[in-house]
Amino acid sequence: MEPERQPNAGRRLLSPAELLAARSRDHKIPQRSHGQKDFTPDGSKEQEERLRQCRQEHWQLLEEERVERLGSLVKAEWKPGEAIVELKSPAGKFWHTMGFMDQGKQCLLPEEALYLLECGSIQLFYKDLPLSIQEAYENLLTQKSMSLLKYQVFCHLKRLGYIVLRFRPSSVPTLYEAQLNLDDHSRNTEGGRHKRKRSSSSRLQDEKPRTSEKSLEWKESPKKARRHHERSSHPPSDSSSSKERKKASDLQCTILETIPSSSATQQHEESPVCGQQRSKKNSRAGYDDVRPSRWDFSTITFPNVGADGPCTILPQPDKKVLPENVTAREVDVAVWRVRLNQKHERLTRKEREQLRWESRYKSSVNEDNEVRHCSNWQEYKALLEERRLWKKRSRPAHLWEQRVTPLVKPDQGRATADVLQQISVFQASHILDKASRLQNNSRGLMIDFDVYQADVASRFKKNDPGKPSVRMCVRRFDEQIPSLRALKQLTYQSGDIPLVFALVDNGDIAFYSFKEFKLPTDIQP
Amino acid sequence: MLYSTFSREAFPNTCSLPDRGNRRKRAGRSPAMRAGGFQPLAKAMPGLDPALQRPPCLFLSASRTVSSPLQLLLLGANAPSFPLHPLRTFPIALFAGSSALKAPIGSASHRSSPGENARGVQRGDTHPGPDMIRIHVLEGKALVWNYADVRRIREEHRIVGTLFGALARKPRQNVRLGLPLQLLPEEARLLLENGLAILCKNPASPALGEDTSQEVAVYQKELEENYQEQCRLAAEQRKALLDTLAERIAQGRAKKRQREGEEEESSSKLAEPEPSFVLPRDSMMVQLPTERINPGQEVVVDWRVPSKDWPYAGQPDHEAHYRIFRNLWERGFYVTSGSKFGGNFLVYPGDPMRFHAHYIALCVPRDTPLSLCDIISAGRLGSNVKKTVLLCSADEDGTVVYTSLQWTGMQ
Repeated sequence: MEPERQPNAGRRLLSPAELLAARSRDHKIPQRSHGQKDFTPDGSKEQEERLRQCRQEHWQLLEEERVERLGSLVKAEWKPGEAIVELKSPAGKFWHTMGFMDQGKQCLLPEEALYLLECGSIQLFYKDLPLSIQEAYENLLTQKSMSLLKYQVFCHLKRLGYIVLRFRPSSVPTLYEAQLNLDDHSRNTEGGRHKRKRSSSSRLQDEKPRTSEKSLEWKESPKKARRHHERSSHPPSDSSSSKERKKASDLQCTILETIPSSSATQQHEESPVCGQQRSKKNSRAGYDDVRPSRWDFSTITFPNVGADGPCTILPQPDKKVLPENVTAREVDVAVWRVRLNQKHERLTRKEREQLRWESRYKSSVNEDNEVRHCSNWQEYKALLEERRLWKKRSRPAHLWEQRVTPLVKPDQGRATADVLQQISVFQASHILDKASRLQNNSRGLMIDFDVYQADVASRFKKNDPGKPSVRMCVRRFDEQIPSLRALKQLTYQSGDIPLVFALVDNGDIAFYSFKEFKLPTDIQP
Repeated sequence: MLYSTFSREAFPNTCSLPDRGNRRKRAGRSPAMRAGGFQPLAKAMPGLDPALQRPPCLFLSASRTVSSPLQLLLLGANAPSFPLHPLRTFPIALFAGSSALKAPIGSASHRSSPGENARGVQRGDTHPGPDMIRIHVLEGKALVWNYADVRRIREEHRIVGTLFGALARKPRQNVRLGLPLQLLPEEARLLLENGLAILCKNPASPALGEDTSQEVAVYQKELEENYQEQCRLAAEQRKALLDTLAERIAQGRAKKRQREGEEEESSSKLAEPEPSFVLPRDSMMVQLPTERINPGQEVVVDWRVPSKDWPYAGQPDHEAHYRIFRNLWERGFYVTSGSKFGGNFLVYPGDPMRFHAHYIALCVPRDTPLSLCDIISAGRLGSNVKKTVLLCSADEDGTVVYTSLQWTGMQ
């Protein structure tokens, strides 16, 4: 059992005979079948023999060197300057899930090359000399982008069969992009321009905060406006949902269709509804928000010229709803339609729920006949004022005119759950709430990998990988648990993809994730 | 309010881990369960003062921050045979600190004295001799690449480490892994301190400007020689194979001739020498070496001085953990990383390949108060996995105090 100790023992270069002999080597791992572990050493021969067998098997496996047919090895060259590995002969099957093209050459990222080297798929050269695995570790993993820690997680996942790509912040569509169906579009164009370019991550990261900031403004302001509306005691809030928007434009279009000889004047009668609603919303935002208003795409309605509503002629807006110094004319947008993204709007589950809720508890101002009779903004304001006064009169003054007023108003909260929600002190919060504001200082903690399920390998495309099944953040085991702030930032960055922490403890890897937890409520809405 | 649960993720592998099924069958085998909990510990640590072996029954009063390990120790030592507060059955009573182990006097001699230490260091620094185990530093982690070194570390020095490379024979699985072996900082330091190993760092491969044409020529020549030799050997093997089959071939041909009625044909065909066999170049076998072939210039890293490559020396945590690690190791245990059981180390009575861990070692400072919750959760965990939790506290002079936590099972 005592291994002989000679200079360079264990440092083995195989002789040609040994190399040839390796052709008929066994490729199975012996199953550990030495029975259960023992409780305590009792010095018996039997125990010793079992241990000896176990160890022998173990050392035999460890001692084996990688020997491959020259023809089945892909030659690759390490380029430290660019921190990539360039293939010198055509790539094998692995090209399906790894590698990228750079200036017409097939290249691999350092971690991919190292993994393939360990798998015996490539032979790695540097300055025309082959690199051993040890040298490859020492050379390839010195880059800042790929530390030993990350590589350990990378190869662990790869060995399990997952497809692992580096995380690219730019691959995450911003909320705004997702809303406008731009995520597919932008990815397609990007893919067309340059096939899975190497992510020069510094550039991409610089770009990221700007776009997300913009999207944040767009995202935040409608919410605020909406909340404001809900609180005020105006008639049914008119925060437009896309459904209503669609309905409005559909209405307009059907009218356009039913009256083929649509003269400009006839259209005028209908168009104010659309235009008025729009202008009203704008001015409302101006009135209510003390902040200078920004473009708020959730309250500005656009005429629907999508595939579902072929409204190609935009009528001239009613002069009454326009400022004095602005003129407008009729436009035919048929030419523009071809350039528009005409896909159906995709709603997230949350949005759909919101829509359902709105359709149940809210009604569109357009369905109010009195409102429909208003032909301009002034009349509408007058109507609102009148209604407000009427409401006031119907409420007892001693309740409603003092400093302290009831928490729940008569027209609010029809269900018990609504009332509870209204008077609750603590609001349940979502991990992503306000996370977008923390975006600016997400230093230190970064998402490292996009991980794709192994079973989609056949459908997987490098250039258009689609949504990963999880995103991976690599941490040391002895590091602090990330703060809620850092966690929010990362989750926000990850979007709707679950985030998993891979904790590396001296080569052992464990995966942990935070799951959102909702306290159960007794009352169903 | 934000509620989160923290859950461990399982990343499914196609193969199941071999010992997963065994765990349940081990029930009732823990040292704690077996003999009132106390004796196995004493048995496992020979040289223990027998006076300390009687389990003192200790009830803790209901204060939230209990005590430092030192206080526990004192309480335990003074504990009379009746409970201090017999009627107060606060939950902590379930976890009576039962034993207070002091390192046996004998272990002091095991500890390397300063003189020994210095000798080892000298040996290590001046002659990185061939019999030294080479520990390579990469990003502050200690890796061993040499197969014989790995074997020696385990078989001669009882140090296990973690393999994390792909196994040469079957690289795409995680059940059995291959070189390199990663050592805990404590494991590496033990080898280094005993003068058995050197810590070295390989500079990156030849810089861009360096001329390697000579090495390339040597490599090409060796490759060509290797190919010729393989050709020769393959031809020989083929010939040998044909020779063994010669009889059957001859029979087959004879049959064929009989069928075709050409009996006149002479046997000259058979004697005809095999046309020279050439091994296609693509079929040549090449080795992808695991370890560096040319050691090159290794830079020896001094492990006693904290540096970027080896930042551990002098860190209070590392020093404390190391003292405990070393003490346990000197008692003849195999000690591995214990993070999967929420401890600092796992202590095995024999090679982890064949034995289960008996103890989960938690390193706690000697004089810092511990919270009751921590003790309860540690004890719970230990009894759940049928192991004994050891609270280990190291002194400056190297002595280590062990306190074990067990479930008394009192109703």
